[in-house]
Amino acid sequence: MPAVQETIDRVRKIDVDQYKYGFQTEIEMDKAPKGLSEDIIRFISAKKDEPDWMLEWRLGAYRRWLTLEEPTWARVHYPKIDFQDIYYYAAPKSAPGPKSLSEVDPELLKVYEKLGIPLKEQEILAGVQKPAVTDEEAEIGDNVYKSGRVAVDAVFDSVSVVTTFKEELAKAGVIFCSISEAIREHPELVKKYLGSVVPTSDNFYATLNSAVFTDGSFVFVPKGVRCPMELSTYFRINEKNTGQFERTLIIAEEGAYVSYLEGCTAPQRDENQLHAAVVELVALDDAEIKYSTVQNWYPGDAEGKGGIYNFVTKRGDCRGDRSKISWTQVETGSAITWKYPSCILRGDDSSGEFYSIAVSNGYQQVDSGTKMIHLGKNTSSRIISKGIAAGFSQNTYRGQVSAHRKATNARNFTNCDSLLIGDQCGAHTVPYMEAKNATAKFEHEATTSKISEDQKFYVMQRGIPEEEAIALIVNGFVKDVIQQLPMEFAVEAQKLIGISLEGSVG
Amino acid sequence: MNMHAQPQRTLAETGLIDAFGERLSLLPGDGAVMVKRDDAIEAIKHGLPTRRVESWHYTDLRRLLTSVPAFEAGAVAKALAPVLEGSAVLPVLNGVSQAKLPEVEGVTVQRLSEKLTDGSAAPGLDPYGDDDAIGALNTAFVADGYFVDIADGTQLERPIELQNLQAGGQSHVRLLARIGAGAKAIIVERQTGVGDEALVSSVIQLVVGDGAEVTWLIVQEQPDTATHLAQFKAHIGKDAKLTLFVMNAGGKLVRQEVVVRTTGEGADFKLRGINLLAGDTHTDTTMVLDHAVPHTTSTEVIRNVVTGKARGVFQGRINVHQYAQKTNAKMACNTLLLSDDGEFSTKPELEIFADDVVCGHGATVTEIDHDHLFYLMARGIDEKSARGLLVKAFVAEVIEELDDEALVEALEERLDGWFSTHG
Repeated sequence: MPAVQETIDRVRKIDVDQYKYGFQTEIEMDKAPKGLSEDIIRFISAKKDEPDWMLEWRLGAYRRWLTLEEPTWARVHYPKIDFQDIYYYAAPKSAPGPKSLSEVDPELLKVYEKLGIPLKEQEILAGVQKPAVTDEEAEIGDNVYKSGRVAVDAVFDSVSVVTTFKEELAKAGVIFCSISEAIREHPELVKKYLGSVVPTSDNFYATLNSAVFTDGSFVFVPKGVRCPMELSTYFRINEKNTGQFERTLIIAEEGAYVSYLEGCTAPQRDENQLHAAVVELVALDDAEIKYSTVQNWYPGDAEGKGGIYNFVTKRGDCRGDRSKISWTQVETGSAITWKYPSCILRGDDSSGEFYSIAVSNGYQQVDSGTKMIHLGKNTSSRIISKGIAAGFSQNTYRGQVSAHRKATNARNFTNCDSLLIGDQCGAHTVPYMEAKNATAKFEHEATTSKISEDQKFYVMQRGIPEEEAIALIVNGFVKDVIQQLPMEFAVEAQKLIGISLEGSVG
Repeated sequence: MNMHAQPQRTLAETGLIDAFGERLSLLPGDGAVMVKRDDAIEAIKHGLPTRRVESWHYTDLRRLLTSVPAFEAGAVAKALAPVLEGSAVLPVLNGVSQAKLPEVEGVTVQRLSEKLTDGSAAPGLDPYGDDDAIGALNTAFVADGYFVDIADGTQLERPIELQNLQAGGQSHVRLLARIGAGAKAIIVERQTGVGDEALVSSVIQLVVGDGAEVTWLIVQEQPDTATHLAQFKAHIGKDAKLTLFVMNAGGKLVRQEVVVRTTGEGADFKLRGINLLAGDTHTDTTMVLDHAVPHTTSTEVIRNVVTGKARGVFQGRINVHQYAQKTNAKMACNTLLLSDDGEFSTKPELEIFADDVVCGHGATVTEIDHDHLFYLMARGIDEKSARGLLVKAFVAEVIEELDDEALVEALEERLDGWFSTHG
């Protein structure tokens, strides 16, 4: 079928052959020696000027990590990772916490320009008179105006390089900074919340992260504040053989609201690179956190060589009554994705959502899903997962929904659909449902298919050519999730999933 | 089996290993069989599966099997009247087959102890995976059972009922059955018993020949003193149909595994199950279905009623192999959780390696619909009766699907029996 072939080609284009972020940047790096030991952790902690309690916290995690075994239950296969063959700390040399963009290494700025990150917005909005040097720059400036305001924290290898809009956010009472800065400036908040959602002993990768995390973002939205703009972080792995271990902590106090976006890219390399992040969200009474990810780490080449190993622990704690946490993810990159953004619905009447699109192609392996743990009364959760597998990839949805004894009236709806493109790939669904309360109401449905002949016939019968029909149907297939993304990211996500998926055919 | 090195053996593990040493001289089998028994007990020595073994995630056998009873040499079990009137009954009483059996035209029956002694049963004794604890347990200890062969083209006029009856202690039984090409049969597998603590393992190995049509009913009504570990394995040939009906309505610790593979194009598999769970019990139904060839179909419908402190589990995995294009598979698992002390866990898995397939599953856990209850109560039916009606209708729906009046009636009778004691 030529139309299907075309879809395959398009998906292949975006994911494998035309990985547009596959450039690398020559920047002077400041690296710790390879390998992991207590000394390395002391080194990282000292580099970051951390207080003693933080160092102890890290060492505690490290000692715990030594006792843990690498998990093997996920449907992903890869050669054993040598954790002593990784740089745990790599920072651009010229970035000792720049106060303005002018202090940033110009090479780095070029990276962000290539990425299309609107870092320039700070200058533009601050009225900096600086004529655009290139057309490209001018265009970036324009786009910033058009796309609305987004505050950005950029994390390069292990270090947060720049955070924009800081002052304006501070006026509203919102703290948005790198986690290292938060440890120094707001130790009471960090102490109170860090590790309270994902404890240091949680799992192999989270424990590793707790020991060696080098940076990440910190967001604190105080009581009653609606964060005036979207917050965003861009993560990029650049240096060879480095692991990226970032840590994100977001706290929304009573009645607060924040929407947070995260984007990830990495250069093309033959070796696999390790990424093990931890994200913790805390929502108090009536608070709402919306967390969106567009993950486009380098997936490896067409033969499956290279690519990022993405082992991420993301968890949100609906600690307060009537709180809400919503995860949206568009996963197109990484050689291996191992990621289960979860919600602990602790507060009464709290709710959790998970919307996901996972596109896998080439030799990518995706094992992703969510956990919804219902603990409070009248809690509800919704899971919408769309997996598209092509090439030789394996795409697994793995999710857990559980209602504990006291979770009266827990409610869940889960829908996970998979679309297979080609006969060499695999799509798998592994949902776990556990109910311990008679008033719990759980519904789960899953389907796996290729595009049905009936659907295609229905559309074509109305005079729409086959290719367009397929584009329409695939478009419809992921739409539920795309709609959940903030505008700025929806555009990028659509681009990533493929030009055809949002109706560019015809 | 769980290959984690266990630091210390549990009482049950020690009990099984010791029992094997004591029983060894009494177990039938030639060299090949005995080698398989040794391998099997080796697997048990590595430890019973824990929740860390994915397929045993919800049934931590190592923790749940707290002790094993001794073999009761003097225990006497008596054959029962069959579930379906007029059935030819093949009883296994406390793990021992009978010499005198009813004659049915086209059906050859052989005692399994003979096939173990001459070694012809050896090839089937291998476990089907490294997590196959039931297979290993049975292979180590199986002493008897039957081999049933239904000749090609036989249209069985009366059903066959295999009765596996225990009266306490341990019994380990295996049944091999071959349904010839084009044959048609109804087979009832009855699992029940009386008396004190019991450990029963039962393995069924069924081959459904090309074009054959088999309805197989498992009626499990063990007393709540029994641990019942059962496995049903089947291969379904070209254009053959297998309908498997499983009714679990008893036992203290129950695991019923269903391991089915379609081996010929046009094969069709239907699984219908009802789990009626009460008391402080644990019941696990685990299905692994392999669609291994193109153009095969399957549907599974499981209905569960959970009362008291009962814990229920349904795991269903559908594997669609890469060449099994045009597979059509659907699975549904619906649970009525009627007690806050009860729990139900379900894991319906799809593993799909072919693209031209239609596969889906649905699962729900809920209590009785309040609208339905209101509808009945508004018509003057008291709440208790209304609830009873709705619960019964919920499971009866699955039974009524069976295309045979006698079968439906017999099963509904058993359903009534359960509701009258637990309703």
